Amino acid sequence: MSTQPPSAKQMQFDDLTDAIEFYFSMESSDGLPVVPPTAESVGRFLDHVGRSGSEVLGEEPTRNRVITVEKAAINAVMAGCLPEYFPVVLAAIEAICEPEFNLHAATVSTQGAAILLVVNGPIVKTLNMNSGVSVFGPGNRANATIGRAIRLVVMNVTGAVPGVLDKAALGHAGKFSWCIAEAEDESPWKPLQVERGMTSGQSAVTVFPGLSPIPVSHQIDDDRPESILAGISDGMFVVGPGETEVVVVLTPETIGHVKAAGWSKKQMKELVFKEAHRPALEWVRTGAVAAGAANGDEMRGAAKSPDGITLLVAGGQAGTVSHIIPLWGGGLNSQSVIKEIVTR
Amino acid sequence: MATATRFEVLDPTVEPATVEAAMASRPSTLDGGVLGLLANGKRNSEELLDLLHEVLADSYEFSGVVARNKGNASRPCPTDLMEEMAERCDIVITSSGD
Repeated sequence: MSTQPPSAKQMQFDDLTDAIEFYFSMESSDGLPVVPPTAESVGRFLDHVGRSGSEVLGEEPTRNRVITVEKAAINAVMAGCLPEYFPVVLAAIEAICEPEFNLHAATVSTQGAAILLVVNGPIVKTLNMNSGVSVFGPGNRANATIGRAIRLVVMNVTGAVPGVLDKAALGHAGKFSWCIAEAEDESPWKPLQVERGMTSGQSAVTVFPGLSPIPVSHQIDDDRPESILAGISDGMFVVGPGETEVVVVLTPETIGHVKAAGWSKKQMKELVFKEAHRPALEWVRTGAVAAGAANGDEMRGAAKSPDGITLLVAGGQAGTVSHIIPLWGGGLNSQSVIKEIVTR
Repeated sequence: MATATRFEVLDPTVEPATVEAAMASRPSTLDGGVLGLLANGKRNSEELLDLLHEVLADSYEFSGVVARNKGNASRPCPTDLMEEMAERCDIVITSSGD
């Protein structure tokens, strides 16, 4: 039993079913049953990380909500996490509380962003996280429950309840859970956390305010890796122009063609950036650019710069498909944030 | 016979932290005052404020108008802009267009 008595309000029920139903009735679930959090289970999470429940992880200033380690643990238990996952949850919460992430707006906007978590480093193998087949799909406990824990924190602690403060017009399937690991062993490139200044021995989570992914199927039947660029370019057209940040997820089979072409990560970003240019009038046609705001011959890029394109490798061995994940507000209103995952 | 409680569970929610704050003093008249118009950066937000200015100008004589646009509806108003409006204006109207 943990030495830390909980400070959260406690409620008593005669049986488990009543407790589960209670969280539905108080609108503290995502629509699926939760694991009722007890003082004992929450205490195990606090003990695992060796932190005080009263410690403040961050604040959401617009709604004046403070996220403590204890409230994070309660929601992580509810999501079905194991205590071993808790360091990832804590790092992700610290990341979404950074001002540049703009948590309030990113979680209530009509455009409907979800929070994509990308985990890198040794912890991926320690926690048996999925970076392979069906990486965005169900089936892996760590991926599913870590992502779910962040959503429950956003709803229960910062108050972004769908239909109340969260006014997303269509919503987002990733609002149930959206957490992947990068397939570092499949990538010829530096993994994300190394690209962003850490070492390969450090574990990290990067949070992206992502809109729904756009799938691209590449028809690579004649050893033309350029067709990958063309497919990604078409996908990026949908979200352009001028995206400050955009994520492109490439599968191992796709990356095999990239590897054969000998493109470095930097080169690929530059090639994607260059390819994803269109006449501005095409965006006028789709309403992305106001009529009269573009000249006849003007070309614009779907991305604002090559540096704003994040390339990730993940997914199953078979399949030349890519996902393009545009960021909410064009990447201008909210930026991705990386945090180290600290374990004891 | 009383049934023993079997499940004691915890509240996952957080109430907003609150601080005491006083309302700004209300002007007794708008006549002679400086009107601030702060658009939030959404489409039509400036047009809405211009319309409000036009309607108010039928009834009141302003000594000046400060019209600004904070540029990004999804970000808080920059502090220097807030301070400028507070310093120069007697009343400020803000708008959200779309």
